[in-house]
Amino acid sequence: MELKSIVEGIERSDTRSVARAISIVETESLHVERNLIIKSIYPKTGHAGIIGITGPPGIGKSTMIGNLCKILSSKKIKVSVLAVDASSPFSGGSLLGNRIRMQENLSRYGVFMRSLANRGLNGGLSRAVWDAVDILDAAGNDFIIVETVGAGQADLDIVNLADTVIVVLGPGLGDQIQAIKAGIMEIGHIFVVNKIDREGSFIAIKDLEETLAFSTQGEWKIPVYGTNSLTTEGYDDLIRGIMDHSELAKSSMEFRKKRYREEMRIVMQDEVSRILNRKFKDMILNGSELEKLLESKTDPYSAARKILKGSTVKL
Amino acid sequence: MSGGIYLENGKSQLLFKDKPIKILLAKPGIDGHDRGILVLAKAFRDAGMEVLYAGLLPTPESVVETAVNEDVDVVALSLLNGAHLTVFRKVADIMRSKGIDDIALVGGGTIPDEDKPKLEEIGVTGNYGPGTPLSVIIEHVTTRAAEARKRKLSR
Repeated sequence: MELKSIVEGIERSDTRSVARAISIVETESLHVERNLIIKSIYPKTGHAGIIGITGPPGIGKSTMIGNLCKILSSKKIKVSVLAVDASSPFSGGSLLGNRIRMQENLSRYGVFMRSLANRGLNGGLSRAVWDAVDILDAAGNDFIIVETVGAGQADLDIVNLADTVIVVLGPGLGDQIQAIKAGIMEIGHIFVVNKIDREGSFIAIKDLEETLAFSTQGEWKIPVYGTNSLTTEGYDDLIRGIMDHSELAKSSMEFRKKRYREEMRIVMQDEVSRILNRKFKDMILNGSELEKLLESKTDPYSAARKILKGSTVKL
Repeated sequence: MSGGIYLENGKSQLLFKDKPIKILLAKPGIDGHDRGILVLAKAFRDAGMEVLYAGLLPTPESVVETAVNEDVDVVALSLLNGAHLTVFRKVADIMRSKGIDDIALVGGGTIPDEDKPKLEEIGVTGNYGPGTPLSVIIEHVTTRAAEARKRKLSR
């Protein structure tokens, strides 16, 4: 596929173009193509609400996304899904298992869904997910749901990407809620206790409500919902909460600014390290400077500063 | 698309350097015997691939839909119920009707020798049976994935 036809395809929401574009932004060596695509589509972004779903592994995030897709689609709201799963630190391989929990609803309602491996990135997301969100935004989605890797207490990057962060917890974690107060408990705009048919869910909801009673986010009061994903009990309230928060996020511009700031930070870091890497290879590893520094027993810190100071970094 | 850097002679090992092989495993049809495919899923993961499994009882349509959404390099089909000629062909037909030629199809399961040429004819290669060493399957998948990836990048 030509780049130009991919960009045109994204704008008319063609599945294969969107899918191919995400493959390109996932491939680091195709950064020139990536930059061209993002540049072309960026003016079309800004419409979609971005919903982040995070929580510990096995709590029901993927199943919940399947249900949300079903309910939103039947309300004629266009939604797409990005799900991040962990890469093996040993083989680099990955078993992307999120899709299997939502496939039935995806097929029935024609929802686009893409699994992304985190390729070893900490924080619960992958590098490419930022660009993939822009692509799906430009493709005219009303909502983009981003599922994080099954999150620990400190996988918090989703808060920078999503307008609305939903933290999914379950019964049985209730008595440990105090312990996870820092980190994941601070990023949720909406909390959900899933699997409320299980024992202890009433207490879990109460515990959460008490913990959250002291935290405020401006005018937004953090709600706690109980859901049962088998029967979709509690989903009406959850959807209402998502709509309310997404309205609030859209009206304030704060979230969009925060996302832009964070994306800039990541992109700048990438650019700088690319330039440095190239420089390191060309000038330092292949030059004689390194040997001189070693001979004069210059410590690595001073040597690095010296090299950087003496060079003019060109973009 | 200037994927040319990958296509120099003898440089194909770079093909998957910064984007691993992405493979979809599926048993499209009425067949619940998933032990084999789960073993393969783990083997492919351990070989450094990004692996999707379509779950039990997906339709050929949803297999192709998933393959397109995920932009995989390879779709690996497995059946142990004897319906491979019908169902693998259905998947191949849907892909052809959508003009998809940059995703490779490979097969496996309990497939009689006389059926293998028929499957090869519709583009489903490999068609390994029980007892095949994992390394043979991984090597075949890698070869087919390289073909598919080159086609993706060459346009």
